[in-house]
Order: sequence, then C-alpha cells, then structure tokens
Amino acid sequence: MILANPSATPGDRVEAILQQDLAHADSMLGTIAPILRHLLVNDDHTVFGDEIIARVRGMSADIARQLMARMLTVNKDEIPASMAEQVDALTLAIVGNATFLCHIHALALEAQLNDRLQARLALDPILPPLLQALVSSNDPVTSGMAMKLLASQARFCQSQRRMQLPLSELPGDLLHGCLVVMRTVAGVDEASQTQAAAAETVIRGEFNEAKSRLGLISRLVTGMGGGAVAALSIIHAGPAIFLSALALASGQSRDVAVLATNESQVSRFALSLRAAGLKPQAIDEQFLAFHPNIALPDGFERLTADRAAAILVGSGGYCGP
Amino acid sequence: MASASAVMARALSDGDDRLVAADEPIAGLQQRCGGEIPGTIAVPALLEAVRKSRRYEMKLARALGAQDGESAITAWVEISPREDGEMGCEIVLYNWQTSPLPAEAGGHQDDLPATIDRDLAELVARLDGEQRILAVEAEATDLQALAHSMRSGTGQVWTDFVAIEGGSHVYPMHWRLIDGARVEVVGSTRHWQAHLYPHAMPGGQPAGFDLCLTSDDAPALEPVAAPQGENPVATPGLIGRDIAPVLRQPISRIIANAETIRTRLAGPLAEEYANYAADIAVAGQHLLALLDDLADLEVVEADDFATAPDRIDLADVARRAAGILGVRARERGIVIDAPRLGEKLPAIAEFRRVLQILLNLLGNAIRYTPGNSQVWIRLEGEGSRARIIIADQGPGLSEPQQAIVFEKFERLGRTGDGGSGLGLYISRRLARAMGGELSVESAPGQGARFILELPADLLAPA
Repeated sequence: MILANPSATPGDRVEAILQQDLAHADSMLGTIAPILRHLLVNDDHTVFGDEIIARVRGMSADIARQLMARMLTVNKDEIPASMAEQVDALTLAIVGNATFLCHIHALALEAQLNDRLQARLALDPILPPLLQALVSSNDPVTSGMAMKLLASQARFCQSQRRMQLPLSELPGDLLHGCLVVMRTVAGVDEASQTQAAAAETVIRGEFNEAKSRLGLISRLVTGMGGGAVAALSIIHAGPAIFLSALALASGQSRDVAVLATNESQVSRFALSLRAAGLKPQAIDEQFLAFHPNIALPDGFERLTADRAAAILVGSGGYCGP
Repeated sequence: MASASAVMARALSDGDDRLVAADEPIAGLQQRCGGEIPGTIAVPALLEAVRKSRRYEMKLARALGAQDGESAITAWVEISPREDGEMGCEIVLYNWQTSPLPAEAGGHQDDLPATIDRDLAELVARLDGEQRILAVEAEATDLQALAHSMRSGTGQVWTDFVAIEGGSHVYPMHWRLIDGARVEVVGSTRHWQAHLYPHAMPGGQPAGFDLCLTSDDAPALEPVAAPQGENPVATPGLIGRDIAPVLRQPISRIIANAETIRTRLAGPLAEEYANYAADIAVAGQHLLALLDDLADLEVVEADDFATAPDRIDLADVARRAAGILGVRARERGIVIDAPRLGEKLPAIAEFRRVLQILLNLLGNAIRYTPGNSQVWIRLEGEGSRARIIIADQGPGLSEPQQAIVFEKFERLGRTGDGGSGLGLYISRRLARAMGGELSVESAPGQGARFILELPADLLAPA
C-alpha cells in the first residue's frame, strides 16, 4: 500500500496505485513459469502433491489457531469468527520461517510415507516389530518409554489425519520461533501485549521436548547404542523410528532424512544409509522396501562409510542445519 | 524409582552457562574438553542446548554428540531451567556411551592429526621408496647427533640409526607396520615416536616418505650438565609415567562396556548378569582410582617433588571443592556448609594441590558420614598460619585410629568401598610439601575434624 500524497491530484494517485499494483502482478507473472514447470516435471506428486500442500496448510493453520486460542485463553474451536483474519495473518507470519515450513513439510511427507508403506508392505506405522520388542523389554525404563512412544505415535497418526499438529510436538527451536512471531503479530496495545506475554510464559513452561514424539524416539534410539543399527531396517523399525535413526546415524537433520526417502533423492538416501554404517546388502534391502524399481549403481559397495559421510557434508543441504 | 535408576549424571549451570556442579562423567568430559568446574561449558553441543533452554525458558532434550580426543561420546541429555530460583539450567544425562574414534586412515595427508604431527616433528627426514635416507632436518639439541650420523649415512635405511622398541624384526619392514613405532635415540633421554607419511603414487608403492620424529616430552631448555658422580638420568617412576597412561584406556573401555551391558543397551539380559556387569564396572572404577592414587604417590614420594606456591584464597578453593562434590553429597542427603561468598582467607600454596586435598577430605566426609547430615568447611586465620577445617558428623576416629590414619595403605579395617588407603597419605605429603600440615581431631561418636594448615599470605590486601 502506498501513502497517497495529499497534494497530488486524483489522477496522479490512481496512476501511482495502478503502477504499484502492476509491479506486484509482474513479479507474480515471473514466478508462474518456474512453479508450473516444477509441478509438471514432478509428476509423481510426492513432494508438491495436492495432498502434501493441503497437509502443510492444515498443520500451519492449526499451530496458528492454537497460539491464538492461548492468547484469548479459550479452546481452539472457540476462537470467535471475527478473529479469522488475525489467525490468517498469524499463519502467514509463521510460515515465513523456512525451517518451520520445511519441518511441517517433512511431517507431511512422513505421514504420506506411513500410508504408502502400509498399503504396499502392510507395515504398521504405530506398532512396528522393534517397538513391540522394546515394549516387552525387561528394563522398566525402556518399556515405559516405549509405551509412551506408542501412545504418542498413535496420536501423531490421528492428528495427521486431521491435518493438525499440537504445539507440544514442535522442536524447541521452532516453538521459540513461533512464540516470537506471536509476540510480534499480537496487537500493539498494552492489553494484547500482556495477553501474548502471559500465553507465552504458559506455553514455555508447559513445553518439554523430551516428552514429544520426536524426543521420545531420539532418546530410545540413542539408548540403543550399538544396537541402533536394528532401527535402520524400515521393515523392523517402521518409518518413525527408522527416520530418526537414519538422521542420528548419518549426522543429518531428521527433516532431511525424511526427504531423502523421496524418489527424487535416491542418491542422498543411498549415501545416508552408507554413512549411517549399513552394509551394502542391508542397503539393498532398504532400497527394495522403499524403491523396488531402483537398483544401486555398480561399485557402490566399495564406497566407505566415511567417504559417504564426507560427500553428504559437502552437499548443499536443505533449510539450513 | 525406575526412572531414577536410568539417570546417569546431573549437573547445574548458572546464568552465564557455566558449569557450577557436575557428576561424573559430565565433569570428566568437561575437563577433557578443556573446561573447568566452575567454568563455561566446554562441550559445544551441550553449551548450545543449555543456552537455548535458558533463553527460551523451555525444557529441551537432545541426543548429545561429543569427542574428548579419545572417544566419540553419545548421550541423551534433558535440560530444564532451574527451579531453585537461581539462573541457569539443570542438566540430566542418560545413556552415556563411548566408542573409539574411527582410526585415521594411513597415508591421508590432509588428515588433521597427521598435519599436526608433521608441524610439530622435531626431526624430519625425506626417505626414498625403500625408506633410505635422502635428507635430514632437525633443530632440537638432543637430536643433533642423530641428524649428523643420518646425514653422513645418506642412502642407508633409516632404521639403522635408531633403536626401535620391541624390535627384533628385519628392517626395512613395510611402512604401515613400522608407522607409529616408539624409538630410542642415542643422545636423547626423551621418548620418541616415528611416523611415516608416504608420498602417494596412485595404484603403486609410495615413491618416498617423510619420516617425522615427535616426542610427548618437551625438549630440555638447556643441555643438562650432569653433576659429577651422579647418574644424570633420574630414576623414572614406573607406574605414574609408564603404566598409568597405558592402563587407563583399556580400563576405561572395560568400564564403558560393562556399563553398556549393565544398562542392557545392547539387548535384554537376565537380571543377575546385569548385576555382574555392575560389579565389573565398579571394580574397574576402583582400579582406575587406584591407578591415579599410585601415580600421585610416586610423584609425592619423589625426592625432587616440589609444589608451585602461589597466592591463593582458601575460601575460593573450598567453595569450588564443595561445588564439584555438591551433587554427590546431595544424592546422599548430605549438606555441605561451605564458606559464604565474600569470605576470604589468603594463603601461600599451590591451587590445584589444595583443591586435591580438599576433594579428598570432602570425598571421605561424604563417603563415611551417615546420610542426611552436615559437613562443615570452616576457615581460620591466625597470624602466619591459615587453617581450613572440614568437620563431619560421622562415627569419628579413636586415638589409635588417629595415630595411623595418615599412613600409607591404611584402610582402618574397611574393605570393598573403592578406597585405596592412599588419599590421606598423599594429602598429608602434599600439605607438608607446601610448608603446611594436615592433622585430625576426633573422638568416637563425635565426628572428625580434619585440619589443613598452610602458610598465610600476610601481604594480601585485606
């Protein structure tokens, strides 16, 4: 929006407004071709499919609604309709954070992977064999944690179906980012600021990363020590644990590990598995589960784990660290 | 109870992300990473997580990855803002695991350790593909003789000029077998290690090597003139210098593996086997502590043992000692009453030796005092003497026990609690070496008062 110059004639003003609008329209026109081309080329619909976009939009809006509900100290479904515009503005501001967007996108891909593998391999996304074994462990700490993960994984699958994501499931850094956005977007008047500050204090106090689904998985995988290799079998560990184990063992963020399972990222997937220390034959097995039509290149078995890790570190990466 | 048994260690940080109290293994990791207690957290990944938790005022949890130079360490840490009204965070660590760092591949010239080795080498020789000498460069005075004879023996194999430890093989051996060997050099009392860095020739034998001799001992500042009629080589301490460094690593590995078995990290295991593993771990820790004590014993018993006196504040040392052992004391329900901030007692002594004595005395007090009691640290200045008193509410010592408690290997009949009977002996030797004294006052049932007396720093500003 431009400020109208009061001394300008009405004709000037119209011209300026039209010019400004045209500039916006120009930049939009400029993006049509690359976006359209990308969508056409990626005809497998796995990264930018309608379903993925809908999930990302749904989860982002859900986070914004939760923040708004906390500020108004009401339930999520009691936000007055008059606030819809503010919720939209908050959603927009939140997805301005690329790391946040990538994380939500990765969760959407994970949900899609769950569905795909369940349909093709009858893989239980909630209670895979590894989690069954952990639940029946002799060690009360391990089995207790495994039970908590089971509940949390079931909640995740359910909320994915509703395209929702509880605030408590965000990684600490991203939640902090959202709270900073919330504070900025809240009205400038003192009452709104007080409201936002109060909501923020409560959310920060309640948050416990260790109890989130991703926290529980990481802790379980870390606790398996050398046995964590068992978690690198998708059939045995199921997608949720497999992806965390792959991220931890290959030194990448979990969001990157999720993307690596996409068909367009087979090289990254192969390198990540190698860097995680899997033997070539075990990598073949993972490929058979994820990409039954793709074979590893000849000579891949000669690539050492160190070299694979070095190549990965050298790659551009995705959404920062 | 179940969740408490999985907690391996706790630590506290303050508002500047400095570690103010820590259990093992956090304390050890902090030190091996070059940090102090209290001091800024030296493990980068941990520092980042603690800083975030403090700023965000959120409970965070991370898989922690670190290296302490010897092993790669993974652990699960949960960090929460402190709830005792202080700034900073409480750190709880679970699932501590160590694994050896991946061995550096031989011949990788861009490897960091190799680069450091080559930069620090005190003798560098260029060899041909058959390990024959082409050129030699050396700066240290005790290597001049070797360099000279090597130069005049150009074209001969380098192993003709040095004695390779444990070597009864026919040389030249394959360079990979001899890389890293310990060698003795005529004219030098230092211990040397030889490294060979091949000049790579893809697909074939190396075309040549750089031979580097490095030593962990610093070069003598000036050539040592041997006093007439005396053996110039001091009798080396057997345990402290030779055995302790070699044993420490395998024992640490035994402990780490036993811990892995005990915590059933590698899979389910019957209860009694987990208990055996716990016994192994405890025995290993005992062995490690004993090794440290024996190494210390040799140092303090050496004829030339001297401390490096400095102007120190005993109140500060006492507060640090209390901070280091604070967590362990709390676990036993023991309150350490340390000198308040602002209290001062200047003295002349070596800081780390006084800290060592206080850690020993406090550790004893915590170990032998019944739970839910107090341990006091009191300061007394009297003319030219400064006194620090550690008093506990333990069973106390009878007169005959007081007479022998400072003797070597004296355990007062105790067994099986991990003590070596050397701590108090070493502490008294240290105190005396600093011009002070360590004594005890006690009666059975009345608790014990250990008194460390040191020269006061009379010139210190009041």
